Order: sequence, then structure tokens, then C-alpha cells
Amino acid sequence: MPMHDDIVAILENRPLTGGHYLLSLDAPRQASAVRPGQFAMLRILGRSDVLLRRPMSIFNLMATDGRRGWGPRRAPQLRVTGSKSRPGQAPRIMQLLYKTVGRGTRLIAELKKGDKVGLLAPLGHGFFEEEYLPQAREADEILHVAGGIGIAALLLPAKRLAEMGFKQRLFFGARTKADLVGTAEFKPLVRATLLATENGSAGYHGYVTHPLEEYLAAHTKKKFLLMACGPGPMLRATVELAKSFRHPCLVSMENRMGCGLGACLGCCVRVHSEGHEAYQRVCTEGPVFWAEKIVWK
Amino acid sequence: MTSRESAGKTKVQSAARSAGHTARQPRAAAASAAVETFTPQIETEIAGIRFQNPVWTASGTFGYAKEFAHLIDLDQLGAVCVKGISADPMEGNPEPRIYETASGMLNAIGLQNVGAKRFLSEKLPFLRTLKTRVVVNVFAYSTEDYVRCIEILNEGEGIAAYELNISCPNTRAGGIVYGSDPRLTEEVVAAAKKAARYPVFVKLSPNVADITVFARASENAGADAITLINTFIGMAIDIETCTPRISNVTAGLSGPAIKPLALRMVYQAARAVKIPVIGIGGIASAEDALEFIIAGARAVQVGTANLYDPGTSLRIVEGILDFCRRKRRHLSDLVGSLKVPVKKA
Repeated sequence: MPMHDDIVAILENRPLTGGHYLLSLDAPRQASAVRPGQFAMLRILGRSDVLLRRPMSIFNLMATDGRRGWGPRRAPQLRVTGSKSRPGQAPRIMQLLYKTVGRGTRLIAELKKGDKVGLLAPLGHGFFEEEYLPQAREADEILHVAGGIGIAALLLPAKRLAEMGFKQRLFFGARTKADLVGTAEFKPLVRATLLATENGSAGYHGYVTHPLEEYLAAHTKKKFLLMACGPGPMLRATVELAKSFRHPCLVSMENRMGCGLGACLGCCVRVHSEGHEAYQRVCTEGPVFWAEKIVWK
Repeated sequence: MTSRESAGKTKVQSAARSAGHTARQPRAAAASAAVETFTPQIETEIAGIRFQNPVWTASGTFGYAKEFAHLIDLDQLGAVCVKGISADPMEGNPEPRIYETASGMLNAIGLQNVGAKRFLSEKLPFLRTLKTRVVVNVFAYSTEDYVRCIEILNEGEGIAAYELNISCPNTRAGGIVYGSDPRLTEEVVAAAKKAARYPVFVKLSPNVADITVFARASENAGADAITLINTFIGMAIDIETCTPRISNVTAGLSGPAIKPLALRMVYQAARAVKIPVIGIGGIASAEDALEFIIAGARAVQVGTANLYDPGTSLRIVEGILDFCRRKRRHLSDLVGSLKVPVKKA
């Protein structure tokens, strides 16, 4: 498990719409070890009142050549661990996409270029290819279903699947248009993106699971693999759709975490395990689970 | 060299020069003292067992140690107190189980653990490969089950001691009964001591009016040492939904927020008993640890800090060594060395 705990520098903490930020960290040790679907624990330094690290999905990885700088305008030389070697360097910039929701994320949002944070990453087992590739190969299309900031967990898996030539489609729902962040990065990876907002400010007016249901109902002869991340009710609805249309579904779970290492057992969720129910750690056995494994409340 | 760099350097040099007259003399003295090589002794002995240093990781915050193997050198720890073990596996509480509060955290994990048998077969083999001592935290809901758990664990080799959790406030039917009634404390400690193949340390609950009563009850019942304190019972509420932040409603508060309370209790307990005291509660730095040692603790445990900064314990070992070198004192000279001003009549 090549996790690393380092103090790293912030390259950019770019405000996006709707209280979202894209945090770019100079973290070569962590970035080069990432598998799609893993997460990071971010620690705010020098505070005695906010102690615990904040778990965040690893949104994106980028390389830099040190001469031309880096940034989204320059074509990123992505090489995710496990992928076929490509020309270009191993990634050294880790991007975390987050939304300010509480004290911790508000403090992180105040950080500026050059400030340091503690970065423990990569963590969790991510989307294990050996576990889902058989289903992906059988599927006509991979459907990514994102709710709000859940989008952050799905970009790297989508990149990896695109590298392998899979056809993909994104269903992305959020409260408002301002919450639909990160869609630009998905564009080159998917055949189509379907947006939905609860207030109707962009795309379909309502929950994203409605157009998802219509799509599944319109293509009952096709096989899909669903990959979902988002708030609890949205995940439950997605999982129910996958179940009723009989498609395999992977979910990336979120929870409050203490350590991210599997020691404190603070992030456990109820799962079916060996014929009975038990608690398993989102940080270690997850964050990605097969949908039928989770005991949905 | 750019002009900016040279300007910076000049500034540093001139600062050093201006400080030189006062600072250089003591530094020279310290250097010559170092030549005499004072090697501080920070080993500590409890119940006849030698620990290579007094900094241990606290139960429930360090899993079964293996979780941290990629991040720190486990061999450098004084001891690892493993996650609480019960005779039978426990599945724990529903989520949410943790919540961060100012300078601390609430937890109600519900003592989820693999049970004594699986601990021996799955967890102990790795722990035995370490140079570090292994203290096994034990809990139960009846005296018979404490004994039963200890009897299973007695089969294991390489355990330094048991730490009896009589204070975990997390489980509704749980250990709180033992930890808040001196007679029950004596009963369970005596029974555990009788059953145990290894020394028994008793981890006390802070949720009592007078900690010295429970320190003495443990000592009277034959405890080899006392560990204090466990978490304070606390609570947090989500005002938007009018629901508790933790599914168990109440939860154990830990972290730097509780340190002064823990220190006071360690000080009181250390004066009340002759058996060794192991201090715990919000320790996050060498200075924190030294406060507990000076108050009377022969060893300390680092808890919540392991979660957010796994390097803390080893930095504390280094910090204690540095302090001992600077003061030219061994650890044993520091234990209970608090100078209390004498009140005039």
C-alpha cells in the first residue's frame, strides 16, 4: 500500500461556482501512486481547534514539465498507475475538487498558493479493475451517475476506462447550475452528458435519477455497468434502478472519517458479508463497493 | 545569486551577529557538556516489564498497529495498546460514529472488534514481529465475560499485559457500571487478576466524582498499574435537523480539549496509589507528555493524535529524549517531580 503522509504545497486553490474549489497540490509521491477511485485525507496545519483530516476524492492528476508550468489549458500527460505506459511523465499534481460544507472545508477554502497542507494519500481500494472489468467488457456502455460533489470520485475511473476504449455516458445531477462543476473534464471521455438540477437552472428539471430511469427503460436490451457517487438518497435511487433493470452497479461511499487508515472504525457502513450483516470501513474496504453489498437504509 | 537572496542572507547573518554576544556563550557551554555525553535513560518499568520508552499508542486509536506500518517505524514505540477485545466479536454502533468538536472529537464506535480468538489468530502474529510491547485492552459486560476473554487471550504468547477497560462509555449496557462503582471495580479487577497470566492494568473512567476512589479500588483489588483517563461522556447536536450528531446520542470526548482535566486526574491518582500510573488524555506533543510524567505518570499514551498525525508518538519520544538531555535527567527522575508550592498556614 504505497500511501504517503507529507506536508505539500498548494499550487492553486481555484474558486469555482457554488462554493466549490479545485485544489491543486504539488504531491509527486502521492500522485504517482493513485489508482482511480481512491481518496486523500487533507490536514489543515497549525490549528489546534480543527484536528481531523478531511477526506476528499482524488479528482484529477496532472503532470508538469517544470518549464511551461501546468494547468488545464496544457494537455495533461495523465498516466494513472496500472495503465499502459504512455509517453510523458508520471503525474505530480493532485487535484481535489471540494465543496465548502463546514468548518474544515471553509478553512481549506481560505488557503492560498504556496500554503502547506498535510496530505495522506492515496487511500482506500478505489475501483479495482480486476473486480469490475468483466462486467465492463460485457457492458455496451458504462454509465457514470454523479450527485453534486460526488462527481469528484468519477473522473479518474472515467479516464482510465476511456484509455481502455470503453464507451461511457455521464448522468450528473445537482441542486443548481452552480453545483454542476467538473463537467468540462468529462467531455472528452464520454459520448454524452446529461445534466439535471433540482431547481431547473440547467438541464433536466428534477433529480438525475429520472432521466437515468428513462434511459435505462429506453434501452432494455443493452447491458450497462453503473458507477455512482453522490448523496445517500440519490445513491439509493440509483442502486434501485440498477437492480430493477438488472445492471451491475458500483458505488463510491462517503462518510465522516477519523484516520482514513482503518484504525478508528469511525467511517463504517452496514454491509452484507458472508451471509450476515456487518460493519465495514469506507476508508479501507471501500470507498467503492458493489451496490448489493451495502445495506441501504 | 539574485539580489533578493543576498539581501535575505545578509539579514540572517546580521541577526545572528547581534544575538551572538548573549547566545554564543551558553551554546559553547552546552557543546562542551555534550562532550561529557549524558545519555538519558528513558526506559520505563511497570509490573516488572521493561518498556523501551514511555510513549504508547492508546487503545482504539491505533487499530492493531498494522494499519500504521506504512507510515511510521512501529518498532520505536514504547508499546501498542490494541483496540479493545471482547470474548466474542462485536459489530459496533450504527453510523454516524464520530464527530469533530473544538480541539477534540466525539466517538461512539461501540467497541467493534474481531473477538479474542480471531485476535490471537489474525492480529497477534503481526504484533509479535515488532520490538514494541503489546498491551491487550480487554472489555466485557459481565465479570464472567471479562474472565472468559482473558482466559482465551492467556493462550497467546508475546502479550506484555492486559489493560482492563472498565470505563468505555459507548455501549449502553456497557462497562460504565464497572467504572463508576468502586465495589464493581474491585470485583472485576480481582477476578481479572486471578484469571490473568499477564499483568493487569486498569483503565479508569473520568466520569466519576472522585478519581482517587477508583484508583485505590483498583490497587486494593491487585491491579499492577492504572491507566487514566478514558474519554469523557459528551454530546453534539445538529440544530438543523434537531438530531444528535452521533447515533448513540452520547459519545466519548477525546483530544487536546480534555488534556487539563486528564492531567489533574493523573496528578490526583498518582498521589493516591503506590502502583504505577499511565497517563492519557489529549497528549499531542512532548510537552504534553512531560506534563503527565511530571504529574506522576510512568508512561503516557497518545490517542486521538494518532488519527490526524500518525507521526506524533515518535516525535514525542524524540522530544522527551531532547528534554532529558537538556535537563540532564533520566526519565525516572522526572516521574512525579512536580514541585507544589507549600501553602502558608
